[in-house]
Amino acid sequence: MNDRMGAWRRRHVLGGFIGLAALGAPAILRAAPSGQPVKVGGTLSLTGFLAQTAVIHKIAAEIMIEDINSRNGFLGRPVEYVLLDDQSKPDVARSLYEKLITVDKVDLIMGPYATAPILAAMGVAQRYGKVMIQSSMGIPNLQTYDMAFPATPFGPEPDKTYPNVILDAMASLPTPPKSMVIVTSKFPSAQFMAKGMRIEAEKRGVKVPLYLEYEAGNRDFGAIAARVKEANADFLWVGSLGLESNQLLEALRKLDYTPKTSFHLYPAPGPLALSPDGNLVWCSTFLEPDEPFMSRPGMKKIAELYKERATKANLPYAIIDAQAAGMVAAWQILEAGVNGAKTLEDKQIAAWLKKNVVTTVYGPTKFDGLYNHGEPAQLIRQVQDKQWKVVWPKQFVAPGVKLIPT
Amino acid sequence: MPSATLLGQALISGVLAGGMYGLLALGLSLSWGLLRLVNLSHFALAFLAAYLTYELGTTYHVAPWWAAAMIVPVMFLIGIAQHWLFDKFKVNELASLLITFSFAVILEVAIQLYWTADYRRFETHYSTMSIKAGPFYIPVLELALCMVAGVLAWGTWLWLRKTYVGKALRAAAEDADIAAAYGVDHKKLAYLLSGMGAAYAAIAGTFIALIATLAPTQIWAWLGVVFAVVIIGRLGNPLGALLAGMLIGASESIAMAVFEPAWAPVVSFSVLIAILLWDPEWL
Amino acid sequence: MADLLSVENLSAGYGRAVVLSDVAFRLGEGEALAVLGRNGVGKTTLLDTLVGVTRRFTGSIALGGREVGTLAPETRAGLGVGWVPQERNIFRSLSVQENLTAVARPGPWTLDRVFRLFPRLKERRQQSGASLSGGEQQMLAIGRALATNPRLLLLDEPTEGLAPIIVQELLAALTRLLREEKLAAIIVEQHAQKILPITDRALILERGRIVHQSDSAALLADPMPLERFLGVTGR
Repeated sequence: MNDRMGAWRRRHVLGGFIGLAALGAPAILRAAPSGQPVKVGGTLSLTGFLAQTAVIHKIAAEIMIEDINSRNGFLGRPVEYVLLDDQSKPDVARSLYEKLITVDKVDLIMGPYATAPILAAMGVAQRYGKVMIQSSMGIPNLQTYDMAFPATPFGPEPDKTYPNVILDAMASLPTPPKSMVIVTSKFPSAQFMAKGMRIEAEKRGVKVPLYLEYEAGNRDFGAIAARVKEANADFLWVGSLGLESNQLLEALRKLDYTPKTSFHLYPAPGPLALSPDGNLVWCSTFLEPDEPFMSRPGMKKIAELYKERATKANLPYAIIDAQAAGMVAAWQILEAGVNGAKTLEDKQIAAWLKKNVVTTVYGPTKFDGLYNHGEPAQLIRQVQDKQWKVVWPKQFVAPGVKLIPT
Repeated sequence: MPSATLLGQALISGVLAGGMYGLLALGLSLSWGLLRLVNLSHFALAFLAAYLTYELGTTYHVAPWWAAAMIVPVMFLIGIAQHWLFDKFKVNELASLLITFSFAVILEVAIQLYWTADYRRFETHYSTMSIKAGPFYIPVLELALCMVAGVLAWGTWLWLRKTYVGKALRAAAEDADIAAAYGVDHKKLAYLLSGMGAAYAAIAGTFIALIATLAPTQIWAWLGVVFAVVIIGRLGNPLGALLAGMLIGASESIAMAVFEPAWAPVVSFSVLIAILLWDPEWL
Repeated sequence: MADLLSVENLSAGYGRAVVLSDVAFRLGEGEALAVLGRNGVGKTTLLDTLVGVTRRFTGSIALGGREVGTLAPETRAGLGVGWVPQERNIFRSLSVQENLTAVARPGPWTLDRVFRLFPRLKERRQQSGASLSGGEQQMLAIGRALATNPRLLLLDEPTEGLAPIIVQELLAALTRLLREEKLAAIIVEQHAQKILPITDRALILERGRIVHQSDSAALLADPMPLERFLGVTGR
């Protein structure tokens, strides 16, 4: 009896280990063309505190690999994405990129998601002279490696350019706001933008009576809400991530206060659009599944596929937005670079990208400026009928849509 | 200098938010103080209950109090099952920290597998309701939480002081061998207490679902502050846990209102260190 | 009369160390037994073994005809073994009254009756156990054992380290318990003269073995064994 129990237990423990090993093993995603596959290595934060966004990137990457392989792959060879989990930890990302390059001998690499893992991976890429395309680094001046390329059009100085996009939109309102409260997370990319916002607002005569920073992971917004209410400015600018905007707006409503107009930097898009507090709030974006973006090549199909996969993966917000589009653009750039330079040599791919224009879901993209950035294209969207609509600048607004003043 | 209204409002928000710290600290304090088991999985159990409340509420439209009525007994049994493992492997204080940490990680992974890593929010119309009292607003949900936490803490305090079982538990916590020699069946009582701890986690979880944002990694967000609360409130003292929770909540909130919101996370540990240095008689 | 306690061939100790060997004795209902001996001969180990907190190697312990040697301490307590440990071990975080009620079981020894025996405890009922003096702690330890309504009371050096005036008070209380209440008891003592007058029988331990058993009165009358094994004169 004891022996049988022992064997049973051992078998289960063994089963558990095999399961664990399977979880830890690289998820290999492969498809059509012919010949030896081109291995592209990368990590995403599939577990840990960045996991909620990383899963979006993973779905986008899977769609793109199928898409690329349904055409010509890389130089006629199929593409294989060797994806590892960096657990949201920069040091893990660093050693995994090291492993991908030296042990797995991948041909190319793809950047991870979020600033800290990107910086960690960039150090490794630089050491081995690999081209690295990243989709989501909101602080361009940190990208100091000359073979690193941004997939998302922040422009070289978003802390100067984007606040002015917001200020332009504010100035277009029937009664332009004269004062602005800035509340921001100390998360680096949000804090970076908030500081810029304060400077640019004051330059243009918009007063900032209250500027608050809170720690990432702040639990209670009651006291912050009380201060925002007391300052009672014309405009509320929130440097939020995740659900912080929802929490702040809820805390404000508990004080029976609704900000006249509010802007939110990087919130989780679904919950804010659906929240009763979210109606008509503004938010940053680069693209929405609407015109003129849907007319860009391949975009319709990608948007549809994304919706299908994201729904299947049980994501609460299954609509493609800037997060997913960033990963799409990153693969489009890598595809263009490899097939354009007609080689897997990193130096030549980098040289080709710097000289050419790549058409991605974000439109024609160049890498000839400061920090390998091209023109900025960070836009403003607004919740209208529980949907995000691009409302500013005007050339990106779909027919029939306009910025609704509050 | 902030206005009196701002200070008053911050104090109200803080005390009420501290009720959640106290409620989470309650079960932790009991098992740490009376069983010498540091149960890190308490937070994971609370979040499991929160996710279940969310799931029942959003998918099956079950009201949160009915959800709690279903979840609490189940959690009570989970607490007992967990203690069975502790008992079987003769887990001590330090080992309990490691084992329950693993439990918590496993639960975190399980929650992420089922509910994904994405943020979840259980929107109810209670979440933004508040009562106006003069210039102040009192959020209804947090008020309800504090009342529930108050009843639980007070009831548990009385139970530990007035009943045979409660006194026996305290005696056993001080010296289990001697208590056993006087006929106290420590093991049976420990099962009861573990069940209670898990049930309290479930009640906290229901309120977490209504008040906070759900993400698997949030399990760890409460750890530091609740530990500080448990220690300030004295191990095994339910009323102390609740009062300490409110003290920390109020301190955080006042710090956010008067100084920088970014200081809030430092506050709980500063209060803890200050109190440990002061070393008052009641600690 | 049936024996209340019957110990046969008992050997016990801590870990691997054997402290008691081949101990055998009997105790009738209402009888009081003095256990005498020098330091370190196994007196405390004998009581601890009866309570169940040591390791028993061989032998049997029958309480009221039922074997209890294999039972857990809490079960033995339930069957009527009341213990006053040498270190007193009162619950310091509980109040005096809580110390008594936390372990109380129904029976003739109610809270009031314990307070009548030790009026000092009544005065200090709300104080914490930690605030008591040594003598008061000893009273509380005895009161706590009585509150479990034991059939057999085990007292481990009850007068050790206490001021003479307190010792007098305690001995008076013990006399009442053993002589008037006829509570069966085993008392471990170093000072034979204090307890021989209030016990019925006595045994002397030497290196973990019983070397002498007799009536207490006989030992008082002829203190030779005391001189031999304890090195004291029967003052």
